[in-house]
Amino acid sequence: MAAILREEKSKGDVAAGSETIVNAEGLAKYFDVSAPWLNRVLERSGRQVLHAVDGVGFTIRRGETLSLVGESGCGKSTVARLLVGLYTPTRGRVEFFGRDLAEMNTAAGRPLRQKLQMIFQDPYASLNPRWRVEDIIAEPLIAHGLVRDKAQITARVDEVLHQVKLGPADKVKYPHQFSGGQRQRLSIARALATKPEFLVCDEPTSALDVSVQAQVLNLMKDLQRELGLTYLFISHNLAVVHHISDRVGVMYLGKIVELASRQQIFRAPRHPYTRMLLDAIPDLEMTGRARTPVAGEVPNPLNPPPGCTFHPRCPHANARCRSEVPALRVVHHAEGSTEVACHAVEEGRI
Amino acid sequence: MTDPLLEVRNLRIEFPTRRGTLVAVDDVSLTIAPGEVLGVVGESGAGKSLTGAAIIGLLEPPGRIAAGEIKLAGLRIDNLPYDDMRKIRGREIGAIFQDPLTSLNPLYTVGQQLVETVTTHLNMSASAARQRAVELLEATGIPAAERRIDHYPHQFSGGMRQRVVIALALAAQPKLVIADEPTTALDVSIQAQIISLLKKLCRDHGTAVMLVTHDMGVIAETADRVAVMYAGRIVEIGPVADVIHRPQHPYTVGLMGSIPSMATDVERLTQIDGAMPRLTAIPSGCAFHPRCTRVFERCTRERPDLMPAGTSRAACWLHEASHLVRAA
Repeated sequence: MAAILREEKSKGDVAAGSETIVNAEGLAKYFDVSAPWLNRVLERSGRQVLHAVDGVGFTIRRGETLSLVGESGCGKSTVARLLVGLYTPTRGRVEFFGRDLAEMNTAAGRPLRQKLQMIFQDPYASLNPRWRVEDIIAEPLIAHGLVRDKAQITARVDEVLHQVKLGPADKVKYPHQFSGGQRQRLSIARALATKPEFLVCDEPTSALDVSVQAQVLNLMKDLQRELGLTYLFISHNLAVVHHISDRVGVMYLGKIVELASRQQIFRAPRHPYTRMLLDAIPDLEMTGRARTPVAGEVPNPLNPPPGCTFHPRCPHANARCRSEVPALRVVHHAEGSTEVACHAVEEGRI
Repeated sequence: MTDPLLEVRNLRIEFPTRRGTLVAVDDVSLTIAPGEVLGVVGESGAGKSLTGAAIIGLLEPPGRIAAGEIKLAGLRIDNLPYDDMRKIRGREIGAIFQDPLTSLNPLYTVGQQLVETVTTHLNMSASAARQRAVELLEATGIPAAERRIDHYPHQFSGGMRQRVVIALALAAQPKLVIADEPTTALDVSIQAQIISLLKKLCRDHGTAVMLVTHDMGVIAETADRVAVMYAGRIVEIGPVADVIHRPQHPYTVGLMGSIPSMATDVERLTQIDGAMPRLTAIPSGCAFHPRCTRVFERCTRERPDLMPAGTSRAACWLHEASHLVRAA
């Protein structure tokens, strides 16, 4: 494995010495959502291309949790799927331990693939209802040829079940015999089976009740500490993101608009969209407080506004915002630095 | 104290099945004063939506009210014939459901649906009803209401659709609105808009609201009082600030601790081990006792009723006078 674990120079405010595990550059994914050929001819309409993700870049260092947060349709789940190779990017590339993710589907990329696993949102849909727990967890072990005989399978299955705080007796049960929280622990167990280093978690607690969500979040934090895992955490829930993250990227219509440490995002948000999101959340402390309702809605991604896509909802928009797309730039300030894509911040207007 | 607008007494909802009767809501009592917002929170399966459905007489068979009574402005409504209940539903009690797409008829324009509601309940001509429909849409903040009224539900976005549903619920100026997870299907920024809209409209018209949700944040911002439900029963009920900041029932304490907050940094969230019991296996005594950290012998044996606890009322033996004396 040593060959894969290539040291890479840290960049920006990245603490020296911590190794970059994931490096995404200019990642884009377009979907062709055109009507069928005959309809296009009859209605004289052209092709329609949905820019689900349009130029997203970030790095994730070993042992940290990077969260991507945004409203539905902002492309956060598409990024998750690009990172595990479920989608091939239209543009841009993902490096994983310094190697291109595109290699993953070749024989040489197999060892790489074990190091990368995914946890899905819906624990009712992501576990095969006809398989027993032991078969579900053993599947990745067998697929990667990590086990030689039955005894090894049993040993590893018992081990991961113990890690997610389930017992060996649960092995012979079927998914329907478990509650939602237990099922999500099963999908975590399955993801852990191949001893991965990097987990992509796509809304892992959104389908769960709060008390069960707390169990799963605590478990994920414990596992991260014990096994030195690295997470990409996708969520729309800012409170959950605040709890679990080291760094946070805020997405809007296929782009990252602000990327900074957790403290920066929550204590000193720079981008108007981030400020708006934080204002919009009902928090327990705000009993009786009138909140600032946000004007407008997310525009149709098929026909995004020109310039900065946030400008129709932004109180600080001017002519430049309406015509020129802002790039993600590092802004240094008293508390550190933030990457933000906003003309107003860059010009010092806000 | 003014007479309550809604009074629910000892409500019990049962589902007869082949393997015996399941009790989904058990001995629930609550009141809502005119103009008051009562929040009802709980996790999935706690019986909060069923309580709301029973009040508007929309329990899906085989579910049925097995005991207790529901009174609206002093009048019993739980045993009314279907046609009489139809007149109350929409006129006296409005309803807002979680998914705005399924609560609107896709084959009619929103205007037709609004006009239908208005002419059914209020004695109005078609043209006056249409005028009222436009006003309702304007009041819920739909731009260009005059033109949008002739659009179909699919031509509206999620947030706009939920505004139409709110307009429908308030069309006949009901005294009470049952809002069942009105913002759960919406994005955070839209959620904020809908909550403040609902708050404003109900304050303007003096409408009482029963707000059913699992989101404590929404309750904190909207409700005057809150009832916490667990396994079909109310375990705590009281003023919203007290329940949130000084919860009395161990379940409420755990629930509050398990909500991640953006105001504080905590390494670990309080977790309540286990899960809500299934209806087929509700534990004896206090239904929460297998998950409770402060359980003692009596909890496994006897079921506690709501008793005074601080400024709220909680169904927990810890608050019983004799226990408090022994503890002191």
